Amino acid sequence: MIKAVMMMNTQGKPRLAKFYNYMPVEKQQELIRGVFSVLCSRPENVSNFLEIDSLFGPDSRLVYKHYATLYFVLVFDGSENELAMLDLIQVPVETLDKCFSNVCELDIVFNYSKMHAVLDEIVFGGQVLETSSAEVMKAVEEISKLEAASNSISLVPKSVSGWRGR
Amino acid sequence: MTGMRGLSVFISDIRNCQNKEAERLRVDKELGNIRTCFKNEKVLTPYKKKKYVWKMLYIHMLGYDVDFGHMEAVSLISAPKYPEKQVGYIVTSCLLNENNDFLKLAINTVRNDIIGRNETFQCLALTLVGNIGGRDFSESLAPDVQKLLISSSCRPLVRKKAALCLLRLFRKNPDAVNVDGWADRMAQLLDERDIGVLTSSTSLLVALVSNNHEAYSSCLPKCVKILERLSRNQDVPQEYTYYGIPSPWLQVKAMRALQYFPTIEDPSTRKALFEVLQRILMGTDVVKNVNKNNASHAVLFEALSLVMHLDAEKEMMSQCVALLGKFISVREPNIRYLGLENMTRMLMITDVQDIIKKHQSQIITSLKDPDISIRRRALDLLYGMCDVSNAKDIVEELLQYLSTAEFSMREELSLKAAILAEKFAPDLSWYVDVILQLIDKAGDFVSDDIWFRVVQFVTNNEDLQPYAASKAREYLDKIAIHETMVKVSAYILGEYGHLLARQPGCSASELFNILHEKLPTVSTPTIPILLSTYAKLLMHTQPPDPELQKKIWAVFKKYESCIDVEIQQRAVEYFELSKKGAAFMDVLAEMPKFPERQSSLIKKAEDVEDTADQSAIKLRAQQQPSNALVLAEPQPVNGAPSPLKVPIVSGSTQDPDSVARSLSQPNGTIGNIDPQIPSPDLLSDLLGPLAIEAAPEAVSTDQHGPIGAEGVPEEVDGSAIVPVEEQTNSTELIGNIAERFHALCLKDSGVLYEDSHVQIGIKAEWRGHHGRLVLFMGNKNTSPLTSVQALILPPAHLKLDLSPVPDTIPPRAQVQSPLEVMNIRPSRDVAVLDFSYKFGTNMVNAKLRIPATLNKFLQPLQLTSEEFFPQWRALSGPPLKLQEVVRGVRPLALPEMANLFNSFHVTVCPGLDPNPNNLVASTTFYSESTGAMLCLARIETDPADRTQLRMTVGSGDPSLTFELKEFIKEQLITIPMGSRAIVPAAGSGPAQPVAQPPSPATLADDPGALLAGLL
Repeated sequence: MIKAVMMMNTQGKPRLAKFYNYMPVEKQQELIRGVFSVLCSRPENVSNFLEIDSLFGPDSRLVYKHYATLYFVLVFDGSENELAMLDLIQVPVETLDKCFSNVCELDIVFNYSKMHAVLDEIVFGGQVLETSSAEVMKAVEEISKLEAASNSISLVPKSVSGWRGR
Repeated sequence: MTGMRGLSVFISDIRNCQNKEAERLRVDKELGNIRTCFKNEKVLTPYKKKKYVWKMLYIHMLGYDVDFGHMEAVSLISAPKYPEKQVGYIVTSCLLNENNDFLKLAINTVRNDIIGRNETFQCLALTLVGNIGGRDFSESLAPDVQKLLISSSCRPLVRKKAALCLLRLFRKNPDAVNVDGWADRMAQLLDERDIGVLTSSTSLLVALVSNNHEAYSSCLPKCVKILERLSRNQDVPQEYTYYGIPSPWLQVKAMRALQYFPTIEDPSTRKALFEVLQRILMGTDVVKNVNKNNASHAVLFEALSLVMHLDAEKEMMSQCVALLGKFISVREPNIRYLGLENMTRMLMITDVQDIIKKHQSQIITSLKDPDISIRRRALDLLYGMCDVSNAKDIVEELLQYLSTAEFSMREELSLKAAILAEKFAPDLSWYVDVILQLIDKAGDFVSDDIWFRVVQFVTNNEDLQPYAASKAREYLDKIAIHETMVKVSAYILGEYGHLLARQPGCSASELFNILHEKLPTVSTPTIPILLSTYAKLLMHTQPPDPELQKKIWAVFKKYESCIDVEIQQRAVEYFELSKKGAAFMDVLAEMPKFPERQSSLIKKAEDVEDTADQSAIKLRAQQQPSNALVLAEPQPVNGAPSPLKVPIVSGSTQDPDSVARSLSQPNGTIGNIDPQIPSPDLLSDLLGPLAIEAAPEAVSTDQHGPIGAEGVPEEVDGSAIVPVEEQTNSTELIGNIAERFHALCLKDSGVLYEDSHVQIGIKAEWRGHHGRLVLFMGNKNTSPLTSVQALILPPAHLKLDLSPVPDTIPPRAQVQSPLEVMNIRPSRDVAVLDFSYKFGTNMVNAKLRIPATLNKFLQPLQLTSEEFFPQWRALSGPPLKLQEVVRGVRPLALPEMANLFNSFHVTVCPGLDPNPNNLVASTTFYSESTGAMLCLARIETDPADRTQLRMTVGSGDPSLTFELKEFIKEQLITIPMGSRAIVPAAGSGPAQPVAQPPSPATLADDPGALLAGLL
């Protein structure tokens, strides 16, 4: 089972954090900080695996990927295959790349809500839901259409402009 | 989702904050703003609500507690429009935990969305349930979710979510998935064409089979079919092909599911599977593209695990090892990492050690990898693959690595090196070298256990002593040495320094000088060791060296008024003793050998490994006898220690302390008063397990044969003493045997038995799984007691050695007889002392339970909740964790019950259990077979009915769990010193010949039956 999905930038600022077992906010922050402190001391060109029992308890594994200014982190238990988890990081990244054509940290910051929608189409209750970024895109586009439809009816007159996030 | 200007502005503001303080101010302002708006329902349009709730989630992610507005978030769930509903669902699943009351309010809305017609609403609702997964949801929604999953009219988008939602509900509540009907449905689901649904369904299957594989055996061939479809037929839509690999995730999941079935019986399925596996093993190469590598090797490593699990043919196994050997030398760090990890795993499963040894040099190279993750894996693997043949190489590598390793690894590294050196030492001098090097290089990381252990080895092996002494002397020449080195060399030189006397620089006064140079640099705990060494040096100087004596006395004098009591006491006592000549020699004589026992280091390591599920070394250690242990001479069985020697304090590793202790009680509790008495016959009786049959004076044929002591039938209690002939001057029992026994179960000294002629007292010391009892047998009369016999009837789990008891106890005299106890394994059985004597013509026999009960091998241990709960959860259930509802408990208030537990060394950990009516307790149990083993217990009492409770006991050993549970139960049910005492008191009237006991005389012929009757 996947215990947590985290995105943080190279300064340690969380950009997305989702825990699949409830955790109070202080504990979440402690874990995010703990993970960051280990990640930021990792050199380049080493493995993507970390031992993380000290933070998440026994039988915890962590894989991460480093993209420009962002770390993408998955924490999971022994029932998952490590390399498959590493691959899984690629799915949201590919999807976001399609959404924003050449995604960067700013896209993620300002489209925070979209990030949640994308993630919910990939990881569901701590399990892998979908691994095809094409399928994820389809689902996300469907959601966007619904929103747009709803916005055009009731929200556009109220909102000041058609400002679209980025 | 988009188009929320306010949210974007807020995020920009936060980004522009210069520091944390500014951010906090901005956040507080926003929270205040949101709070005000939420209060004013009128102006709160759904759009605004949505915006605010997103802001709340953002603030939550930044690490601020958002303790209001949950109601608003939940209320959005029932909004009619999609955007509001969506944010309601997403934010609720992030902010609320499953027990939140607001969620209960939302259950109906969620259910309506799930059974409704709107697929997007279905998806939102399923996502919420799947992410939160509460028990309430599980009970009310599982059937609806099941329907969605098997519905043919639903789109795959909904069905795959339903599958994972069901999995989550199943985790919370296994009844959510009804096994009877569901197994067939599950098998049908695996025929699914859509890869998304199939992946989710396979995940669900993994969870179900991990719980109960038998019910889902029909799914096994389906998993193989899936693998064939993907791997052989490549029958996968383009969007699920990842770098040319057909859905690696689904392949991995299917292989994972197969690992939960114990074996594959059907030959054709097995054959098909092995074909697929063979294809995967052969067809994977390391390529340039990192992502492709990851995907293909994810499948490959899963295939390797499956091959190991299936215990494939030797040929396939060696193919796997060859692959792993290739992996550990590739450039790609992830694959190297997993290669090392899987090799370690493989060691545990199969006998591939010899093949793995071929890669030893490569593994050693990995110990120098820039990546700490890989270095750790390499260390684990080296540790696991070490045996007698390669121990020297591996340990030397570890030592070399120690000087460059980062601090976070040094402790583990030095512990592992010490353990390997001990387990696989080709010769003991090498072992001493390794440990001394270890202390020299990484003294800070060498725990006390490690140097205690080397001292034990040196003490127990005479051949080693001169070597160790000269090595220790060498290290002292170094300019700056670690304090631990000072300790160990001081100890060794104190004991064995005199063996070097003829070598240059090793006279007693030279040794003293060089050691004394170190004294100003050491901390308080080391000074007592140095003082003992000085005393020993002084004692060994023959003829006495007045010069040295003057110097050492000056040191003792200096510390006479030391503020540290330990130092002060030693200084004073050594000073006085050193004036006493012969007595000085006796007291400071060489330490006797240590009893053979399991290394605390190895025990420690095993404890760690048990939890870490890495028992490779343990498994192999059982197959390979360690040289080190063979070389060490075993402690002679009760080899009547010279009364001049300092007693062995069993279990103590604080050797210098024991010296001090014996010094402070010069009349230690040792020795037989009368060593010439024991006849060879008696000895053989004592040693033979069937001693009772051979015992010449056993009165078994007499119709007044010996009967159980304070045995089970209570009426018998008073009849523990049976006069052989009914005489008027018969023996009168004083006190109640059962009562005395129960009292001694909870304390360590007291009277075990008393009658008008004799009193038997007992004094016990317990350490780990060893115990040392001394029986004090006092003759109260003015005439001797003759034909005294004390036989031990040991239960199977205890090893008992009673020093011979003299045949006669002179008038008004007391004899002492030490009894060594060793606990082999957990059991509640009790040893019995068969004691008899003749007073005049009167033969008296009593069978007394010896208070070497289970609780004596418990050591109090207080745990914090961080320590307790992971252990508690790790014990999954029977046989390691047993639960029982106990009725007929004598009513006790909770504090009293806590006292009772503490009194038998099961430490109550207050405040750990949130329910004030529950007790949580922990203890460590010691026995030879289990080592030191953590035991945990939880008592759930019912305040309304104090006569019943529910008890859960757990430990790492099934028999221990059972015995401890029964033991605690006995303590809770029986009243140790209650009404039982009355019966025997009445029965032990003066001169009242005890009536023929109900137990038949034949019982006495069979020690087994006799014991059974007694216990």
